[in-house]
Amino acid sequence: MTIIINDSTMRDGQHAVKHQLTVSQLRNYATAVDKTGLSIIEVGHGNGLGASSYQVGRAALSDEIMMQTVRDCLQNSKMSIFMLPGWGTISDLKKALSCGVDIVRIGTHCTEASVAEQHLGWLRENNVEAHAVLMMSHMALPNQLAKQTELLVSYGAQAVGILDSAGNLLPHEVATRIAAIRSRVNVPLIFHAHNNLGMAVANSIAAVQAGATVIDGCARGFGAGAGNTQLEVLIPVLERLGFKTGINLYNLLDAADIAERELIDTIPTIDSVSIVSGLAGVFSGFKTQVLKHSINEGIDPRDVFFELGRRQAIAGQEDLIIEVVTELKKSLS
Amino acid sequence: MTLSVAIIGSGVIGMDLLNKISRSPLLNCSLLVGRNKESIGLKVAANLGIKTDIDGIDAILASPKPFDVVFDATNAPSHAKHCELLRPLDTLLIDLTPSHLGKMIVPTVTGSDVINERNVSLISCGGQASIPILHALSRNFQINDIEVVSTVASKSVGRATRINIDEYVETTQLALRYFTGVENIKAILNISPADPAIIFRVTIFASIVGANIEQVTSITNQAVESVRSFSSGYSLKGVKMSEERVSIFLDVVANSDVLPPYAGNLDIINSAAILVAEQYANYKKKKSEYK
Repeated sequence: MTIIINDSTMRDGQHAVKHQLTVSQLRNYATAVDKTGLSIIEVGHGNGLGASSYQVGRAALSDEIMMQTVRDCLQNSKMSIFMLPGWGTISDLKKALSCGVDIVRIGTHCTEASVAEQHLGWLRENNVEAHAVLMMSHMALPNQLAKQTELLVSYGAQAVGILDSAGNLLPHEVATRIAAIRSRVNVPLIFHAHNNLGMAVANSIAAVQAGATVIDGCARGFGAGAGNTQLEVLIPVLERLGFKTGINLYNLLDAADIAERELIDTIPTIDSVSIVSGLAGVFSGFKTQVLKHSINEGIDPRDVFFELGRRQAIAGQEDLIIEVVTELKKSLS
Repeated sequence: MTLSVAIIGSGVIGMDLLNKISRSPLLNCSLLVGRNKESIGLKVAANLGIKTDIDGIDAILASPKPFDVVFDATNAPSHAKHCELLRPLDTLLIDLTPSHLGKMIVPTVTGSDVINERNVSLISCGGQASIPILHALSRNFQINDIEVVSTVASKSVGRATRINIDEYVETTQLALRYFTGVENIKAILNISPADPAIIFRVTIFASIVGANIEQVTSITNQAVESVRSFSSGYSLKGVKMSEERVSIFLDVVANSDVLPPYAGNLDIINSAAILVAEQYANYKKKKSEYK
């Protein structure tokens, strides 16, 4: 069986460098990864099209510059962009089309698929390959996720799946989620892991064994906090398990080395705060802001993560961090 | 003298409007139009002795005497049609969808500008919660950019808003630009399924030249107080400043017989709509006395 790999280094990886990747960084990595045989390459702000903001961080480059830069480097791989309704709109999708995007992935919180109806419909009317994913998928039960993906397919999604945006899930939890979705929808299934609890590769394997065929990863696991699934580990492991990826190992390793040398400030490690963030089930992208505000106010960032988890914060609710830090400080004084 | 009023849309917004109208000495609701005979909204209205119908805009047009005010709580594309059909009549159409076709109204900013209009837009819940403050700040300072992040409880967001989420974002941005003159604007909407449901919250970020926190807080407080005169659950949670970037935290608790407390997003826009209708009623009353 063939597994399609989606390289998220230049999209989700952006969280690790506060969305500051430059034109030459994008160009160098895109050129290298295009030679590997890898199917899909994602680019953009870490939170997708139209997301550059105070709330989640402003990108160094505009969406158009990022897409045009990567487009010019790709001869083999498809270019994909990510968009969250409520953040980007169809006018952003029009820009993406004019920049030559091949695939658009629409994301929603795992229980809110119905906000994607407008965008998936528009993409299909315009003959664009449309995928859809449910974020923070640890916050919903397998059956709920299955129902939500059914909605996404009914709106026109040609592949659907789940993101473990908090790095909270364990392999058996991934397997039951993917299996529940598999039993309800008949399009390719996507899985995207984070490594907060050291489970990113294992969870990706569990997803594939349960029926997922599109798997996300990043070079060196580049990404927020503990990072994402390490691409150059995932791919040979899948091959050893008998799955085909069509990716050349040496070219893949070369691309990862280029990423380490030119894109990555600090190779992701599972530090103490990232473990807590995974246990608390909080969006991995919150880490930078949680650390900044906690340190400013002299609060333990671990308490902030557990409190954000208790409040069921979803991706995009970064303004809640300041409120939680302020309230924790009050309760201590 | 009371104005004759009709509501199109029997969802939770329509039901709360109906309740708020019943408490107004100036407005009298005589028709609620829904889509489904079996909907709870239509049954509740019928029990209150209010005429109901499922014929959409045709039911409004069939009235022998045009309504003075029609509240449109449907969706943006339907509103465009309603607007065309009601235009020839002497009816004020108050739009609660994010269609931005009519004149944009924020009661504490625009006052009773509504008298010369046939179609007015209440913009969006995020717009109603942020524009009074940002308009006031923009008259006192040079603002370089503005961002408004609204978080609403999933249970308070109906299908109409979900399929019009782009219209929500774009209409809010358009209104923020119009009322502040600031070019660089971003509006964001988060929908949270948290249980218990999260109270409607709005966070404003703005780069303000020469701002100091005392002045910003004082201007913000004044704007908040004027909104509280008609939407009592609106409150300022805090103002923070680092360098010239100001963050303003707000929430809105619904004080309504119909809405749960978390649905402040619906309460603030409905309260604004009722205030607009009452301002119009007062104007009509004065005009008839003058005659």
